[in-house]
Amino acid sequence: MNVLIVEDEKSLAAEIAEFLKSENFLCDIAYTGTDASEKIAVNLYDFILLDLGLPDYEGLDLIREARKNNSEASFIIITARGAVEDKVKGLDLGADDYLAKPFALIELLSRINAVARRKFNVTDPEIRLGDFIMNIQSRKMFFSNKEVDLTKKEYDLLQYLVLNMNKVLARHQLYEHIWGNILDDQYDSNFIDVHIKNLRKKLNFHAPTPWLETVRGVGYRISLEN
Amino acid sequence: MKLKFKLSLFNILTKVAFTGIFLALMPFIIERINLTQADNDLIKKREQVISQIAEIGIEPFITSDSSEAFGSYNILKEEFISLERADLDQDWNFIEMTSRLIEGEEIEFRVLNYSFRVDGQMYLLEVGKSLDSIEHTARNIRKVMLLFLVFIIVVTFTTDFNYTRHLLRPLDKIIRKLKLISEPSAFDRTPVRTTTSDFLQLDNALRDMMDHIEKLFRKEKDITVNISHELLTPVSVLRSKLENLLLKENLDPDVSRKVEESLKTLFRLQSLVNSLLLIARIESHQYLREESFSIKEVLQEIISEISPVALDAEIGLMDEITTDHIFDKANRPLIFSMFYNVINNAVRYSSSVSPIVIRSEYHKNRYTVTVSDSGIGLSQDQIKTLFSRFKMRNENNGKGTGIGLAIAKSIADFHHIFINVESKPGSGTKFYFIFP
Repeated sequence: MNVLIVEDEKSLAAEIAEFLKSENFLCDIAYTGTDASEKIAVNLYDFILLDLGLPDYEGLDLIREARKNNSEASFIIITARGAVEDKVKGLDLGADDYLAKPFALIELLSRINAVARRKFNVTDPEIRLGDFIMNIQSRKMFFSNKEVDLTKKEYDLLQYLVLNMNKVLARHQLYEHIWGNILDDQYDSNFIDVHIKNLRKKLNFHAPTPWLETVRGVGYRISLEN
Repeated sequence: MKLKFKLSLFNILTKVAFTGIFLALMPFIIERINLTQADNDLIKKREQVISQIAEIGIEPFITSDSSEAFGSYNILKEEFISLERADLDQDWNFIEMTSRLIEGEEIEFRVLNYSFRVDGQMYLLEVGKSLDSIEHTARNIRKVMLLFLVFIIVVTFTTDFNYTRHLLRPLDKIIRKLKLISEPSAFDRTPVRTTTSDFLQLDNALRDMMDHIEKLFRKEKDITVNISHELLTPVSVLRSKLENLLLKENLDPDVSRKVEESLKTLFRLQSLVNSLLLIARIESHQYLREESFSIKEVLQEIISEISPVALDAEIGLMDEITTDHIFDKANRPLIFSMFYNVINNAVRYSSSVSPIVIRSEYHKNRYTVTVSDSGIGLSQDQIKTLFSRFKMRNENNGKGTGIGLAIAKSIADFHHIFINVESKPGSGTKFYFIFP
C-alpha cells in the first residue's frame, strides 16, 4: 500500500517511514504543503498521513484538494495542536482518523489497519487464537461457539494485542490506547497488569493460553504462527 | 435592596418628613397669619370709628358730662366696640389678648385699645374680635391642608416611582445581560437604548472590557496551541526513534530494557505536558459545554472501570449513588475525568481496611456527590495545597505528579461545581462535589 507522509519535522517523517517500510508499506514523504499538493496531484496514494501544523499550508486544504482530484486516499490527521475544533473540522472534511502527537507507531499502524479493513471491506471478521475465536465485528470472544464473558476494557486490550500480533506492546502503549481518552496525570502500569490477570483467568477457565505472553520488563505479546 | 426601591423609599420618607414638619408648624403659622389679619381688621374698624367721630362729634356716642360708656356688641358676641371716658397717664395704642365677661359669659377677645382726646377730655376706644371665630377658621384650613398634602404625597410618589423605574430600566437591562453570561463571547453586544449618559458609559465600558477579555482569551489559546506544538513535536520525534529502535531484531535484552525505560520516562513527560495543556485549555475556555447527561451513569461507568484494580488491591468500592442528576450544558469527557481522577486518587491512597464510598444526595436542594476514603488522611496544610499543581501528599512516592486533583479542580470550576475536601490525618478524606 502507498502511503504519503506529510510532515515538516524531517526526523519524525523519517522514523514513521522507517517503521511503515518495515511493515511493508511503500512510503513517500512531503516536508511542505506545496510539495504534498504536487505529489497528491500526480500519484495515487492509499493513505495520507497529514500533519496539520505545516508552515506553508493550511493542512485541511490538502484534504479539500485531494477530494477535488477524486483521490481515493484515506487521510489520517496527525497533529500536535490537539485542539478539539481541529479534530471535528478534519473529520467533517472526510479525514478517516485523527491522532494526536506524540503517538505510538504501533497505534498509527492499528489505525491504518482499521481504516484499511473498513475501506477494503475485509470479509472475514474472525481471528483464530488457538481454540478461541475473536470476532472483531461483533467485538466478542468465543470458545467452541460459547461466548467468553469479557468486560469492554478486557476485550479492547485483547483485541489491540491480537491486531498487533507477534509484536511486543509496552504497558504504557496499552494504557495509552485503552485509557488515552481519560485525562489523567499518570498511567498506572498496574491497571494493565490487573486487566491481563483477569483476562487470563477468564480465558484459562476454558483452555490454556500460552499465546498470551508476558515480556519481562516491557509488556505483553500475542505469539501465534499463522 | 434594589436601587429603585431605595430611591422610592428615600423619596417617600423625605416627603413624609417634610409634610410632618409642615403640619407641626402650621398651627403657629396660621395663628400668626390670623392674628395679623385680625389686627388689621381692628385697626380698620378703629379708623372707621375715629372718622365717624370726626364727622359727627363724640356726642352721639357719649355725652361729655355724663359718666356712662358706649358699648356695642353684635348678637353672636363676635365683635364689640366700646367707648368711654378715661383718665390715663399716657396715650394708649396697643393690641392685646384679654377675656371679657359679656352677659355672664367669659370670652377670649383680641382687643385694640386706643386713647384719644376730644376737647381736652381723654377717651378710650376698645375694638374687640372674638378668637373663637379665628380658631375655627384655622381648624378648617388645617383640615383642608392635611387632605391636600396626603393627596400630593400619593400623586408625587406614584409618579416619582414610575419615573425612577423608567429611568433605571437600562440599568436593569445591563445587569440582566451580565447575569446571563458565563464567558465574554456570550455578552450581548447590542447597545442598551437610553438617553442617560451614565448608563451609556457603563454599557460601553462593559462592552470594551468584554472585548478586551475575549482578546486575551484568544491570545492565551494561541499561546497554548503554540506551546503544545513546540513541546510535543520533539517528544514525538524522540518517541518514534526509540520505538523503532526497540523493534530492531537481535537487540541486546539489556539495551532493550533501557530503551523501554526511556520510553516510559518520555511517556511521563508527555502525560505531564498534556495535563498542563489540558488545564490551560479548560481555563481559557476552549472546551464546549453543550452536552446533557446523567451523573449517575458517569459515576457507575467509572466504578466499573476502576473496580477491577481496586479489587486487586483489596479495596472495596461502595456504590451508594441513589439519586440521579441530569447535568445540563456540560462536557461529559471532562466530567468523567474529574470524577475519575478523584476516585482513582482515593483508591491509590486508601488502606484496604474499609471501603471507598461514592454517594449522591440532595443537600440543601443542591445535588451533591461525595467520595470518601478511609486512607491516611490529610493535614490542614496539605488540604490548602491539595488542588494546586505539583503538590503531593508524601512528596515523592512515585505515584504520579499530583496534577490529577488540579485537573479535577479546573474542570469543576469550569462547570461551576463547588469542590471541597474534609479530612483529618489518620481518619480518611472526604471530597464534596456540589452541583450548581
